[in-house]
Amino acid sequence: MPLLILLIRAIDGLSWLLGRLLSVALLVAALVCFANVVLRYGFGVAYVWMQDLYVWLNAAGFTLGAAFALKADAHVRVDVFYRPASARRKAWVEIAGVLFFLLPMLGVIAFWAWPAVRLSWLFGEGSQNVGGLPALYLLKTCVLGFCAGLALQGLAQAAKAALLLAGRPEHAPHLSEPRQG
Amino acid sequence: MEPQVVGEILAVLLFAVSIGTLMAGYPVAFTLGGTAVLFAAVGWLVGAFDPSFFATLAPRYFGIMQSEVLVAVPLFILMGTILERTKIAAALLTTMGQCFGPLRGGLAVSVVVVGGLLAASTGVVGATVVTMGLISLPAMLKARYDPGLAAGTICASGTLGQIIPPSTILIFVADFLQGANADAQMRKGNFAPDPVSVSDLFAGALLPGLILVVLYIAWVVAVANLRRDSAPPIRMTEDERAGLWRRILSSLIPPLFLILAVLGSILGGIATPTESASVGAVGAILLALARGELSLGRLMEAAESTLKTTTMVFVILFGASLFSLVFRTLGGELLIEETLHALPGGRFAAILAAMATMFILGFFLDTFEIIFIVVPLTAPALLMLDVDPLWLGVMIGVNLQTSFLTPPFGFALFYLRGVAPREVTTGAIYRGALPFVGLQLVALVLLWEFPPLATWLPRVLFK
Repeated sequence: MPLLILLIRAIDGLSWLLGRLLSVALLVAALVCFANVVLRYGFGVAYVWMQDLYVWLNAAGFTLGAAFALKADAHVRVDVFYRPASARRKAWVEIAGVLFFLLPMLGVIAFWAWPAVRLSWLFGEGSQNVGGLPALYLLKTCVLGFCAGLALQGLAQAAKAALLLAGRPEHAPHLSEPRQG
Repeated sequence: MEPQVVGEILAVLLFAVSIGTLMAGYPVAFTLGGTAVLFAAVGWLVGAFDPSFFATLAPRYFGIMQSEVLVAVPLFILMGTILERTKIAAALLTTMGQCFGPLRGGLAVSVVVVGGLLAASTGVVGATVVTMGLISLPAMLKARYDPGLAAGTICASGTLGQIIPPSTILIFVADFLQGANADAQMRKGNFAPDPVSVSDLFAGALLPGLILVVLYIAWVVAVANLRRDSAPPIRMTEDERAGLWRRILSSLIPPLFLILAVLGSILGGIATPTESASVGAVGAILLALARGELSLGRLMEAAESTLKTTTMVFVILFGASLFSLVFRTLGGELLIEETLHALPGGRFAAILAAMATMFILGFFLDTFEIIFIVVPLTAPALLMLDVDPLWLGVMIGVNLQTSFLTPPFGFALFYLRGVAPREVTTGAIYRGALPFVGLQLVALVLLWEFPPLATWLPRVLFK
């Protein structure tokens, strides 16, 4: 049991740290895009790699940030029946959701994305835009990172729900407290 | 049974079962994707699904990740979040209320105007309704407004963000319509169709959005003057009156200028939506800094909140893409096309059926889910019938907006219920929303009868 709790904390911590980093990356993306506008309209110069940069930063944000959003319970639910449900019922939804929906979906995505990502690494694929960034394979790898991060965080959420069912609700406050807006 | 028939049965079941599994309350994105995978497995076992089609998923995701146009989405959300978190939006709303307040129904008018302007900021229905519900509802109640009128005005104005540019929803709709239209035109033998850009759709939605604003204001003013006790003018204290001009200069003009500059640069064809959005986001940050309301902590809060919302939206897109892929591979898309084309009543019936489906889905699902599932599956069939893509996009926007406003399920009503004080009954909110639903229907009929309302401006501006 203590090991499980330690694992949950480790995964939570990882997702949180990644989320903080990606939030900064989002601000950087906004600034790069803005700088791009200033350079283009103010000075008549345009750098393709700058455009790639803010596009890629955003993509890294919403793929690798998915686990952070899951931890924060920011993925929308249809909550007509979920919101008024008891904590135990919510815990069951959480566990079943991870096992029957989240993990199979991520499995399919990862299994069929893997060959494409591998190929990209083998070719050392760069941006399709002339003058763009190198290492498009890093961006494509984010799809695998999306799957890995979400799977880990999903398991952590399911473990928290299981702890609640086992009489340890202190690890799953998001299930027992009324949800905020 | 033939595999094709089995596949079509599975496709229909997939759609029906998904509605059921969504009700369980697990996040929509994963429920959609997971249910689709389970059906794909069944389809594979009975020989109706070829899993090698899953290989088309990764390129689709890579495409979304490399789309420059879609970066406008997080940037607009960032702009809106900063305006909201730093109380710039709140100050805008309060000051606007004081400008119009001395008129009969003036507070309600200010809510409509600000709702239309803040549209810029979110496109996420909840945020606007909650902001206005927290600030304007107490102000209107204090001024002895009829609770129903106050609640209805706030709900309706909060949904304006769906349609008034730069709505984030329209960015996605334009993206889908562009692909669907290119396909449909190709199949009809037109190999060089006019592209459907985000700027086009923004321009198309502008007039219908303004018509809605005018209809709302006309209604509010009419009620205020016919039922004199429903929306009395407010009396300002000497202090409030004295500082009004200063507040107009500091709280009203700067955000107004920012929002209009962003919109103007897109519609003027000067900058792309993404470029304008970055100016909007950085402009909002600078504005907040100038007002001394932006600490590093608050900036990080806004960035984290933006990251969560953006991720939520894009992950739904990922899940919905998987759903559509399975649905399509099972033969569901063909089924939809055949059904829509075979409806008695032709084009009229096909559009009506698609719109009715979206309207009803609007009771259960939020905008993004509906757009991501329904538009890719129905738009190609509709566009094959020579429906104008811009007109279709605007119709979808106004239609969903109406759905979010319709009692008893409308999303906007739920959000307001969440922040409204107890003395505003749920019945009052429903009663107040109904006339606005009527106004929405007026707008839909106008759009139906006069398609140029949506297609004229883009043509003048960009063609």
